Amino acid sequence: MTDDPPVLRVRGLCKEFDGFQALKGVDLEFGKGLLIGLIGPNGCGKSTMMKCISRVHEQTSGTIEVDGKDVSSMKAAEVAKLVANVPAEAGQTFGISVMDMVMLGRYPFVDRIWWEDPEDERAAKEAMKTFGIYHLRRKQVALCSSGERQRALIAKAYVQEPKLMLVDEPTSHLDMKYKLQVMEYLQKMARSDMTVMVAEHDISLMARYCDVCVIMKRGEVVAVGDPKEIITEKLIREVYEVEARVGLDADGEIYVLPKRYVEGSL
Amino acid sequence: MPKEGLFSQLKKGYRGMKSDLEEPDVSEIELKKKRFRLIVLFGSFMSAIAFLISISISSGGVIPVSEAVGALFSSIRKAVEGDTNLDMVELYIYNARLPRTLASIAVGAGLAIAGCMYQAIIRNPLVDPYITGVSSGAGCLAMAATALGFSIPFLADNTLYVIPVAAIAGGVVAFVVTMTVAEGSGGSSINYILAGTIVGFAFSSVQTVFMSLGKDNLTDVMWWLYGSFGNVTWENAWIVFVPVVGISIAAMVWAREYNLYSMGEDQAAQLGLKVKRFKRVTMVVASVLTSLCVAFVGIIGFVGLVVPHACRMALGSDHRLIMPASVVIGAMLMLFADLVARTVMSPAELPVGAITAMIGTPVFAYMLMKRGRNYDG
Repeated sequence: MTDDPPVLRVRGLCKEFDGFQALKGVDLEFGKGLLIGLIGPNGCGKSTMMKCISRVHEQTSGTIEVDGKDVSSMKAAEVAKLVANVPAEAGQTFGISVMDMVMLGRYPFVDRIWWEDPEDERAAKEAMKTFGIYHLRRKQVALCSSGERQRALIAKAYVQEPKLMLVDEPTSHLDMKYKLQVMEYLQKMARSDMTVMVAEHDISLMARYCDVCVIMKRGEVVAVGDPKEIITEKLIREVYEVEARVGLDADGEIYVLPKRYVEGSL
Repeated sequence: MPKEGLFSQLKKGYRGMKSDLEEPDVSEIELKKKRFRLIVLFGSFMSAIAFLISISISSGGVIPVSEAVGALFSSIRKAVEGDTNLDMVELYIYNARLPRTLASIAVGAGLAIAGCMYQAIIRNPLVDPYITGVSSGAGCLAMAATALGFSIPFLADNTLYVIPVAAIAGGVVAFVVTMTVAEGSGGSSINYILAGTIVGFAFSSVQTVFMSLGKDNLTDVMWWLYGSFGNVTWENAWIVFVPVVGISIAAMVWAREYNLYSMGEDQAAQLGLKVKRFKRVTMVVASVLTSLCVAFVGIIGFVGLVVPHACRMALGSDHRLIMPASVVIGAMLMLFADLVARTVMSPAELPVGAITAMIGTPVFAYMLMKRGRNYDG
């Protein structure tokens, strides 16, 4: 047992937008080297929580500590060295190349005004090699496939050398092969001592890859734990208002098969 | 492989930059630094040529370049020494050509870099320096000043300043209204575009009213509405040149922050940029730049919209290359446009804003056809 502080400790986290309570007192605590799955229906507060942790949003109340440091009292550039954020889509990227995008991940580390250090370039190239996009480095992000774009976004977050990586719906635009590939990359990062939190709608995928799952509904955490223990037909019905078949396949992997929504829930 | 010098790189030009890319594992930062040096060198060289042509050719004829350069240096030396005994050529170069040339360089560079800043921050390829309603506000008050016969008490003897002062005041008022509406509605990029558009419409319609009221002395203000360097003198050339060139260069310090913005506001914020403050500062700086540009020479379109796009198409998305290139190309385009405006229909002067579009459109259309397929804005 080590005395390392938890990588993420959230206490009583609340976030309000114009009277709407997006987060209602969330408490979470995780150590390092975990792949955490964040699951819940649309609008349950997954993205809001990740944006609060990465300081894109200011929380209304509560505390967020990353690696033992209270991020609300830190400068944004210092937080960026602890927490990296991977958005669901790159959006319009104005002709930016893969290399340039990955290099932007080094922004918090560069002291000079204009040019990055050779060390930053080495880190970016290393990351592109790790995620298999080095050969695309001069290609415009906009001209890459969804899978390539997603890997470029992950590489950009990776060069921030964060303790905690927050990944928002990384597989929503991807086919089966790339879904598995991206999840394997995330798992590999978690195994290398980086804690990775993924928000995702594909519960089977989350259950298969994640060490821990956090289930959210209407701004609250309703369950935390080993996916095999917490994901049940009753929970799916409660959280999603959907009847689903939850079972184990021949390899002992959990699967969730949605059947129908509960009458009167829409 | 022997290391190539900068001059041989320049000789090879764009092809040289492309062959660099084919080398495996070359340092991307070094490559960009090389491109930057190339832009500065090429830009300085071409600007010097454009400058010499600009001071040598006029509606009155052509002065040989050597004579023009000689007269330029001797007139500057005399001006510094306080000697007022200038010969005809020196007088002509020093008092007529030089201020006009400097103002052309400043306005071309200023509008191009303001366009570059706006496009980066608003993340919309259709944005130009007039997006915050500055030109409409400036045009409206310039028209009002002419139609209603305004005079400025402490500048009563100098009617040359009435339109520029009114234009700056109008530009500032329009920008303040746009900023108030945009920030009041959330401060997003689309809020700025919509607020700027409606403020622009409002000022344009009031301008039309003043236009109909003052139709008898419209010629006093028409040059301003279509853009002209005809009224530039030493007194106002400095007011345009020094701040515009200063701000244009200073804005380049933020080139990496503009790169960050190309990923969107959330990503920029997550990487440590104070996005709201950065956007406001950029808006203010770019609007000041635009107001200074339009105050003395009027509304000149095209440069601020198209030059940044042309640079992006040729050089990629890095603002550390696009911004200096925009300064150079904007300045050169404006120098040539002014040269054409004052010579082709001599002694009449054509509106320089129309010439910039006439020269620039075919060039840009060619670039668009050549590279448009792979261009993401």
